[in-house]
Amino acid sequence: MRVVIAEDNALLREGLVLLLTSSGHEVAGVAATGPEILPLLLEHSPDVAVLDVRLPPGFRDEGLRAALAARERLPELPVLVLSQYVEEAYAAELLGGGAGGVGYLLKDRVGRVDEFLDALERVASGGTALDPEVVTELLARRRDDPLKSLTPREREVLELMAQGHDNGTIARSMVVTERAVHKHVGNVFLKLGLPPGDSGGHRRVLAVLAYLDA
Amino acid sequence: MRDAIREAARASLHLLSGAAIAVLCQLMVPVALFTVLLTVTVIGAGVLPESVLLLRRLAGRERRRAAAWTGAPLPEAYLPLEGPLPARVRTAVSDPGTARDLVWAGAQLVYGLLLWCASLVLWAPALMVDGVVALLAGRRPVVLPLIGRLADLGAEWSRALLAPAPSAARDAALAARVEQLTATRAGAVAAHGAELRRIERDLHDGAQARLVALSMRIGLARRAYDSDPATARKLLDDAQTQTEEALSELRHVVRGIHPPILTDRGLTGAVRALAASSGLEVEVSVTGPAGHGEPPDPDPAVGRAPAAVEAAAYFVVAEALTNAAKHSGADRASVTLAREPSALRIRVEDAGRGGAEAGERDGSGLTGMRRRVAALDGTVRLTSPEGGPTLIEVELPCAW
Repeated sequence: MRVVIAEDNALLREGLVLLLTSSGHEVAGVAATGPEILPLLLEHSPDVAVLDVRLPPGFRDEGLRAALAARERLPELPVLVLSQYVEEAYAAELLGGGAGGVGYLLKDRVGRVDEFLDALERVASGGTALDPEVVTELLARRRDDPLKSLTPREREVLELMAQGHDNGTIARSMVVTERAVHKHVGNVFLKLGLPPGDSGGHRRVLAVLAYLDA
Repeated sequence: MRDAIREAARASLHLLSGAAIAVLCQLMVPVALFTVLLTVTVIGAGVLPESVLLLRRLAGRERRRAAAWTGAPLPEAYLPLEGPLPARVRTAVSDPGTARDLVWAGAQLVYGLLLWCASLVLWAPALMVDGVVALLAGRRPVVLPLIGRLADLGAEWSRALLAPAPSAARDAALAARVEQLTATRAGAVAAHGAELRRIERDLHDGAQARLVALSMRIGLARRAYDSDPATARKLLDDAQTQTEEALSELRHVVRGIHPPILTDRGLTGAVRALAASSGLEVEVSVTGPAGHGEPPDPDPAVGRAPAAVEAAAYFVVAEALTNAAKHSGADRASVTLAREPSALRIRVEDAGRGGAEAGERDGSGLTGMRRRVAALDGTVRLTSPEGGPTLIEVELPCAW
């Protein structure tokens, strides 16, 4: 994949470049400040953009704003936003457009190289990657009965679904068969009163998140 | 009739003590003349401040007497007599209170005695006339209350002569303000110190300890790398977990110091994010100049409150909304941020069941809020009657 990176910290920037190139991806362009991002994306139209939220010159949310602006100009461009901390409001803004190909992860997650690359590929192919911490916050907020009626397993499945994983990945990470996951997913949707979901994909994530955010 | 006699007797006693003070004022005259003589001839300038203090004590007694009679406080405002002798003499002479006290002493020695004499003269006819009026005609006594009026008159004159000059009253108000600021500053310094110790402890026990353990794991993994790859791998897994925990803890500490979203979005944006994630339906409104939504983009510092004020405001709203969501039973709330010329005013209201003060239900959170606000010289007002609604109003002084 061809990737454009925006990260102002030189150490992290080099780390990301090293990580991506050593796993067979091509880094098409690197930005260190907010205003550089959009021209770079328009020039290279990469397969996926990896953007830090807080960048010079303002050190506020330049990366996030650039991501939103880029999605307006290039609606199909997959964007993975990385941040030192996660904020529910930002996740809502990124997912607000309704289109897939969005990721929002803590920078910490980069350390789990395989999981990070998996999330990157998921985003690049139009899927979703939402940080577990955001999902946890959303779940902590909904304290209503349908959520309480979930078994621990079903709850785990719900969390992984909300993060954007498909059934295959969920099965692997829970060390169960894909058929068992399918059953759990069915139960979750039934208990929460959601229309039956397909095996994965962005629509399912949106449905789950819409439920949690209601 | 009995009441009227009792009241007149009380007034007479008051006038008697006024006469006693008048006699003391009489004694002050030679003292004052003597002092002036000594000071002018520079033989005994040291007597002057002492005489002024004596005069102040006398005036103070009269103030308390007048205040006790009328029921309204009569404040005193003097410049403190401190420092070396020349400074004390200068202050004693230049204090406008000294001149006022002298004028009062001169007047009191006349009206104090006169009023008391008048009351004595009134007693005999009063008893006779009112005896007839009250006992035979069954009407209210008319002369006895006059004695009370005499006491009123004395108290009124003393009040007029002894009330601090307007400038002195202002000085006294300023002194009170200085005292209050000294207290809140001490509180702020103490709160700051406690905050620093908390942060130090959090970093030391948390992130730092984890990083040490992490370094150990990596060291062990390096040793095992060739001989025992399985163990090395296990150690590296542990190391990664510990790194993540350290990062998570650092994020937590940072949020406690200054929530990052305040930097990104300003107070309005941060409060809107809080509202969105509170689980309640929250209406956020911002009033006042330049309060329309986000701060201007190019320079985020323009039109923003100081970081400490923003952080305190953020925690107030967070705490109030958490309490509303957890305890109030309400499903909606409203937050108002009002920018005023010299303050930021925050108002959080929920339509819940109230009773937030009762039973220390969430005492620690509210106490923490009060302490944080007090450290910035702000005020917290909480009204939460049983049955609701709960209203928290916080004012944080600040310059824009």
